[in-house]
Amino acid sequence: MPQGLKRAFAYAALAAISFVMLYPLLWMVSSSFKPENEIFSTTSLIPENFTTDAYARGWNGLSVSFGWMFLNSAVVSVLAVAGNLISCSMAAYAFTRLQFKGRKFWFALMLGTMMLPQHAVLIPQYLMFLNFGWVNTILPLVVPKFLAIDAFFIFLMIQFFRGIPRELDEAALMDGAGPLRIFLKVILPLSTPVLATAAVFSFIWTWDDFFAPLIYLNDIEKYTAQLGLRTFVDATAQSDWGALLAMSTLTVLPIFVLFVMFQRLLIEGVATTGMKR
Amino acid sequence: MSVTDDMPFRVPIWSRLRRQIAGYGFLSPWLIGFFVLTLGPAMSSLYLSFTDYSLMSQPHWVGSANYAQIASDDPRFRAAMNVTFTYVLLSVPLKLVFALAVAVLLNKGMRGLNWFRAIFYLPSLIGGSVAIAVLWRQVFASDGMINQVLMTLFGYEGPSWIANPSTAIYTLVALAVWQFGSSMIIFLAGLRQIPQDMYEAASIDGASRTRQFFKITLPLLTPVIFFNAVILTIDAFKAFTPAFVISDGSGGPIDSTLFYTLYLYQEAFTNFRFGYASALAWVLVAIIAGFTALSFLSAKYWVHYDD
Repeated sequence: MPQGLKRAFAYAALAAISFVMLYPLLWMVSSSFKPENEIFSTTSLIPENFTTDAYARGWNGLSVSFGWMFLNSAVVSVLAVAGNLISCSMAAYAFTRLQFKGRKFWFALMLGTMMLPQHAVLIPQYLMFLNFGWVNTILPLVVPKFLAIDAFFIFLMIQFFRGIPRELDEAALMDGAGPLRIFLKVILPLSTPVLATAAVFSFIWTWDDFFAPLIYLNDIEKYTAQLGLRTFVDATAQSDWGALLAMSTLTVLPIFVLFVMFQRLLIEGVATTGMKR
Repeated sequence: MSVTDDMPFRVPIWSRLRRQIAGYGFLSPWLIGFFVLTLGPAMSSLYLSFTDYSLMSQPHWVGSANYAQIASDDPRFRAAMNVTFTYVLLSVPLKLVFALAVAVLLNKGMRGLNWFRAIFYLPSLIGGSVAIAVLWRQVFASDGMINQVLMTLFGYEGPSWIANPSTAIYTLVALAVWQFGSSMIIFLAGLRQIPQDMYEAASIDGASRTRQFFKITLPLLTPVIFFNAVILTIDAFKAFTPAFVISDGSGGPIDSTLFYTLYLYQEAFTNFRFGYASALAWVLVAIIAGFTALSFLSAKYWVHYDD
């Protein structure tokens, strides 16, 4: 086969795969702008009678508006980002730059915790938070992030901190800076790429998290958007597809926006560290 | 290493103490988390797995009774194992093959690489969310997207894929394979590490493209394949959200989507059988650890490392 023809085939294959991959998403968005009867009657992706009714029905489809649940999700996600950035960068700094007894021992344990499935600690954690009176608050979703529970981000930051020349620390040390000053004035300012990667990933993972809110949040006023959407499936009993797909589209939208803004960062993050998502 | 490490005797005690304080100070959030959120709960759940415990009563020791019941007398555990292993053994290889095939295709110096890469990665990024699980319900419902397409293209009236116990699990496998993008990105990064001159040398020797793929690309990529396989397998064992949303938390129809984690969730948070659920959790840990250990043992027979 001539080279040009081969190439054309490769492009055709890639285009076909892209189309199949994107079709469900396009179908979701387009159906959310169609009147209910049109969702079933046509496979066309362009709505004949464009309407935003489904969004209005969905937005107020539960006793608490989706707006409120988006706000809950945003609060939890932003706090999780803050917690992960602070606690994980501190731990990574201790592991890469500070000399103290037992450092290697703790480092090995830290790697060990990355392997341990969360299911092994799930029930006692729940019982502990129940004892604290934290169930049905956002504290169980947020406080662990301030205790560097996502050891993966420590690992990510360690990789980056190791690449920062030690001469910079030593120069600051000569100028009389202590460990805290070096951390704040030398290491962190040079680490914006890794901090940004960690921030975007931890926002997306927390925004998407379903399991922890499912276990810890009981009242609908406390629900995150994911939990609200799941409840909405029950509430509509599968009868209002438009509204369901409209709210699905909205809960994915923030992630999609971050994806468009930080696409390079995300893809590089996956390529260099083998992150799962 | 800093200068001071080479001459420990000249470092005053106060300065050494300060280093310990600084080290443990910075490590303290993680240390507290390690003891309070990981080590303590892990010990505690190991203990609970040998007890009978619900919220109503104190835990009381039952020895290995929970494990004995799991091993011999729990049809739902067996259903969950069946479903989970079907899911793992189908979704992981399919995802790997697909990810590798598309990565190899993209690595031929295609234009628009960044675009294709982004499009293929998007499902991986959003695929674990409730919204996509909800979408999947509608896609595979009796009057859903798939059946609409089948009707339009072939005039074939498809069943409800989700409500049918013999097909429900395959809709979830399809959802997993749809998210091949992140593995593909890792494969692409691996493919770039292969030196081009190896291919040039092979071409001069008259090796065909297919032969080059099996003799150069595949062997040199085995470390990446191994890494992806281990990560995907562990992830697949832990899958929860799609099965929960698609089956309304039941694992139905007839336990055909009862993922292991879903069964664990039901025992813990619907039936409040904390002792039994803890035992289930440790069995899952053992299964994952066993699979990982097996992979590492097998690695020396097929993973090619540069010496």
